[in-house]
Amino acid sequence: MDFTEGSALGVFTCELCELSSPYSFYGQKPPNTRAIVLLEECYGMKDPFSPEREKFLVLGSKCCLCSKTVCVGTDCSLFYTKRFCLPCVRDHLHQFPEQVQNEVLRKKSVQKMSAS
Amino acid sequence: MSHEREKRQSWDWDSPQCRAQLDEVFFRQHDYIQTGRTEHKEFWTFFERFQRFKTKKEMSAPKSSRQESHEGKSKKKSGSVDLGLPKDYDARYRINISVCSKDIEERLGGSEHRRRRETSGPGRQEITDCRLALLHFLDFNQKQSFNKLSKLRREQKSLPIFQYRDRIVELVRTHPVVVVAGDTGCGKSTQVPQYLMASGIDHIACTQPRRIACISLAKRVSFESLNQHGSKVGYQIRFETSRTTSTKLLFMTEGLLLRQIQQDASLGQYQVLIVDEVHERHLHCDFLLGVLRSLLPLRTDLRLVLMSATINIKLFSSYFNDAPVLQVPGRLFPIQVIYQPIPPEEQASRSEKLDPRPYLRVLQGIDQRYPPEERGDLLLFLSGVAEISTIQEACQTYATHTQRWIVLPLHSTLSLAQQDKVFDIAPPGVRKCIISTNIAETSVTIDGVRFVVDSGKVKEMSFDPKAKMQRLQEFWISRASSEQRKGRAGRTGPGVCYRLYSESDYDAFASYPVPEIHRVALDSLILQMMSMGLGDPRTFSFIDPPPASSIQTAVTYLREQGALDEHGELTSIGRLLAQLPVDVVIGKMLVLGSVFKLVEPVLTVAAALSVQSPFLRSAQHNPDCSTARQPLNSNQGDPFTLMNTFNAWVQVKADRGSGSRKWCRRRGLEEQRLYEMVNLRRQFKELLRSHGLLEDDMGRRTEPQDRARRRERLTERQKLHRLKRDHELQENTKRKVLRLEEGLEGDASSGSDGEGASSSKKRKDGAEQTVDIQEVKFKLRHNVNELQEAASADLSSRQQSLLKLVLCRGLYPQLAMPDEHNANRKDSEQVFHTRNKQGVVIHPTSVFASDPEVLHVPEHESSEFGADKGQSNRHQLLAFVTLLETNKPYVSNCVRIPALQALLLVANSVDTNADCSRVVVDGWLELGLTDGDTALKVISSALTLRGEWERLLQAQLRQGGPGSSAGLGLSGPKVSRRELEKLCEGLVRFLLYTEVSYSLRRLTGLQSQNLYIGPQQDPDLSSASVLSSLFPGMKAEPDPIKGGLRVCSYFTYNCLCDSKDLYSECLRTFWSCPHCDLYMPLTPLERMQHEVTCRPPEEQQPEEEPESVNASSSSSSALTRLYHCDICNKDLTLTSTEILKHKRQHLS
Ligand SMILES: [Zn+2]
Ligand SMILES: [Zn+2]
Repeated sequence: MDFTEGSALGVFTCELCELSSPYSFYGQKPPNTRAIVLLEECYGMKDPFSPEREKFLVLGSKCCLCSKTVCVGTDCSLFYTKRFCLPCVRDHLHQFPEQVQNEVLRKKSVQKMSAS
Repeated sequence: MSHEREKRQSWDWDSPQCRAQLDEVFFRQHDYIQTGRTEHKEFWTFFERFQRFKTKKEMSAPKSSRQESHEGKSKKKSGSVDLGLPKDYDARYRINISVCSKDIEERLGGSEHRRRRETSGPGRQEITDCRLALLHFLDFNQKQSFNKLSKLRREQKSLPIFQYRDRIVELVRTHPVVVVAGDTGCGKSTQVPQYLMASGIDHIACTQPRRIACISLAKRVSFESLNQHGSKVGYQIRFETSRTTSTKLLFMTEGLLLRQIQQDASLGQYQVLIVDEVHERHLHCDFLLGVLRSLLPLRTDLRLVLMSATINIKLFSSYFNDAPVLQVPGRLFPIQVIYQPIPPEEQASRSEKLDPRPYLRVLQGIDQRYPPEERGDLLLFLSGVAEISTIQEACQTYATHTQRWIVLPLHSTLSLAQQDKVFDIAPPGVRKCIISTNIAETSVTIDGVRFVVDSGKVKEMSFDPKAKMQRLQEFWISRASSEQRKGRAGRTGPGVCYRLYSESDYDAFASYPVPEIHRVALDSLILQMMSMGLGDPRTFSFIDPPPASSIQTAVTYLREQGALDEHGELTSIGRLLAQLPVDVVIGKMLVLGSVFKLVEPVLTVAAALSVQSPFLRSAQHNPDCSTARQPLNSNQGDPFTLMNTFNAWVQVKADRGSGSRKWCRRRGLEEQRLYEMVNLRRQFKELLRSHGLLEDDMGRRTEPQDRARRRERLTERQKLHRLKRDHELQENTKRKVLRLEEGLEGDASSGSDGEGASSSKKRKDGAEQTVDIQEVKFKLRHNVNELQEAASADLSSRQQSLLKLVLCRGLYPQLAMPDEHNANRKDSEQVFHTRNKQGVVIHPTSVFASDPEVLHVPEHESSEFGADKGQSNRHQLLAFVTLLETNKPYVSNCVRIPALQALLLVANSVDTNADCSRVVVDGWLELGLTDGDTALKVISSALTLRGEWERLLQAQLRQGGPGSSAGLGLSGPKVSRRELEKLCEGLVRFLLYTEVSYSLRRLTGLQSQNLYIGPQQDPDLSSASVLSSLFPGMKAEPDPIKGGLRVCSYFTYNCLCDSKDLYSECLRTFWSCPHCDLYMPLTPLERMQHEVTCRPPEEQQPEEEPESVNASSSSSSALTRLYHCDICNKDLTLTSTEILKHKRQHLS
């Protein structure tokens, strides 16, 4: 399978932060990676920043609750056995372990501080 | 259990054997990460950190208590949808990757798994540990790359131009021409092409005024469009291209796009053309705009985007039928302007050095006002290199004293390593003080500048058509430049701009700089216009037409060069020259050299003269460098020194590879220039080949059939390619931190520009370790053995003199004559004169500056007194490449040539008196030959040689000319090797062995005004008919202006005001021909005629030359006489030569 440029399947756009980039695979199996399986259906591309040629980069996936397409950036989503967009995480915050809760709360306060 | 524990104790994570065992599980040959690769190494480094982190965490936070509290919390609040999340937090759950390693594969396969466990090897725990680390490693890499992507996208979005994205695309869709105006930092150059690409346009060309910008923009845009190894974005410049069939966006120089228009007038290959930096008003850009303006009506589907700083936008818009303008605000931080005019007592007069006090005060002021913790560098604009070194010296003293500054010069003649230093970072508490020419105004962008000092001055090149001379003069800058300089202080934060002039000065500045088209010589431009069939250059609708006089000067010059004929039409050589992307003089050398089979040396010289000098100025004062350079010097001239240097370098490259860097350093050579030369040389070669001027067998020597060797070469190339790729990836790595002594070192060595040997020596160790990427590229691009072969062939003296002739004809009319009193002057006071400029001097970098004696006429050979005064056969002239006035008018890149011989062979106008004892060349040089016999002989053989040279040149050009089935060497009347060799032989003999004493002097203004006798009422028709038979194919006619007889385009006989004219008939003297037994009284003309037709028997060709035979026999020559042949007993009317032929007939 060839996933060099030119074979882009479409453009991935995060519904929260609008980050967008062409993607060249979708699914749990990035091309040319014998032993690697993703634990979610992902949008991905060839890693443009990797010195090695055949590396992949996961751009994002769908939130398991609201099905929004979100990027893997920590401001938009997190993975905890499944992908959750941050709004959904906040809605169900109490179900996440403390570490995750703290992380999300901390992010909120940081965001507020930088916004003010 | 105990078994496991035992194993664990014997397990050592640091042992290579243990790691190797895990490598077999996780990093197999086809795995995502493979043993031996960089990532594999990185993993184990990561692993160590990861283990340390884990132990630390385990020790600090007891797991059990945490878990408890968490479970308590989550239970309390449950009630909504159960997400089914694991209760116990594990960082593993945060990773969306799993790895199917060998152990899992085996477990799935269920085969040998059990037996394996028995043998020694990693236990379950080790595998688990390793897997966990691997997952974290992969996750870490994902995060890193994603952060880069997200940062990139954030940066793109934050550019001021981003919000105009849709508007730009829309405008381009709906208008043939759009002007996008925005200041530095708005992102237009990188973003607009991307917006258009994203909108689905597949064929975009974007022009840039500078080559370097083409490369860096292509790299940047390619990176931003996440297409690093792909080829959608490429560049094409003079030396190289990264273009492929899939290229959608191509960055190229303006000149190159013009060349493409020459090939394909409709530019069918592009949908959109972006012309960037139009406000800079470069010659090529102005011309390009004119050409595109006339192309638009023919290609209604073509879209043109002009990008400009916010300068003079209306001009561009109205030139293109009021094209819509999209103005993008720049992203500049506020800049405080402080006017600090230089007090009169500190103003330097013209002759003095610049007073550094005003500049030092600014440095002091910054030190007083701003705490050193507040970062921000200083950029100081001066007009030129000399000014920079004066101020640099003073600032360095201050910097050494305060330890708060690192002083760095920046100008284009510095070595690239030195230029590169300005991008390095100053240590904390220290500021960079970059002292620059206007190169930092637009071409070089340095981040982190907070303070700008603007001297308000610039040195600009202009062309003086009267003196035919380039001039580098200091001017006040324009308001536009002044603002541009100021803007450099506000790129990364609020800044301060100190203007060392008053506000009223500023108001008096011109609004914009003078466009290049008004300043420079237009030769190449006019030549290109002619070949593009754009009609009369005077009526072409330029955006800002150049003065008619400039155009006229260029036309005259091109005519002198032989590129245009007297009707202003392109000659065949002119047509070819227009195709070559080089200066007219260089192009001429290439063409002439290829005719003489002097291709290899001419390629080298032409390339060397087209790039900046590789000789570093500062190394001149370094005795070690001078000594090491000595063997490279040639007192024939600078082109020969350059050639020797290049050839020696090629030898070093072939023998020692990357050792060449050291070799260059020792000789004070900038190796980059030599790389440029070798690249250019190759391009010239391809040009000649594609124009059929080069036989193909030279380059395509069949490779050795040996398979092993071929494979070896292939492996080496693969290795080189990998090295190159690795280097490209490393290129974006961080800048290094400067040391405080950095500025000092450069200065200490020589006290000049600051690129001395001592600093290089100290830098050496670091530099040597890194891959020499230039060496890698060199090896990829060139066949070293082939180059070596071409470079090792020493020129024979025969070839050398031919090469000099080729250079001279190429450079003509750029000739200078030594002043007659030079022999009595000091070396430093040698003076020369060109036709249009008196009193020029040789540039100190030239070999003739240090060794002027070789240009003097040896005293014992020149008689001092009487009629023979100044008579010698050793007079020489200089042919030069450039005449540039800075503080003095300098000629540089000179070659010395024998005066009489060279002039007779290349000059456009050779006029003589009746006995040819007085020859005036181009109306300014007078040659006096006392011996009339020799004078005639010399002129006559020069005419013959020139005629033959011209004939062969034309034949060669016809044979190869553009559009022919070039390269095969079979088409057309092939110039025979024999003819060529004979011509070479003749020219060499003429150049080296013409024994004639003559005087050489310049004519005074008055003399050159009253030079000619003018048209005569009663022209001497008898001599006209004599002359017409003299040179078959040349019509001797009375010259309507000069008088006398115009024998051919460059030779007019008997037109000089000379007392002897009237008695030309009386000049008949008895003369015996050395070749036949003719003995009779003849006039000089008659004698010449005889000499031309009567060749020595060994020179006569066996093949018949019917044309010349016919011509001479059919002409009713004044020289025929009645001859009675005793053998056939007939009375015949024959010329003396014919008589001879007739006699010979009876002999055979
Ligand atoms: Zn997002
Ligand atoms: Zn969601």
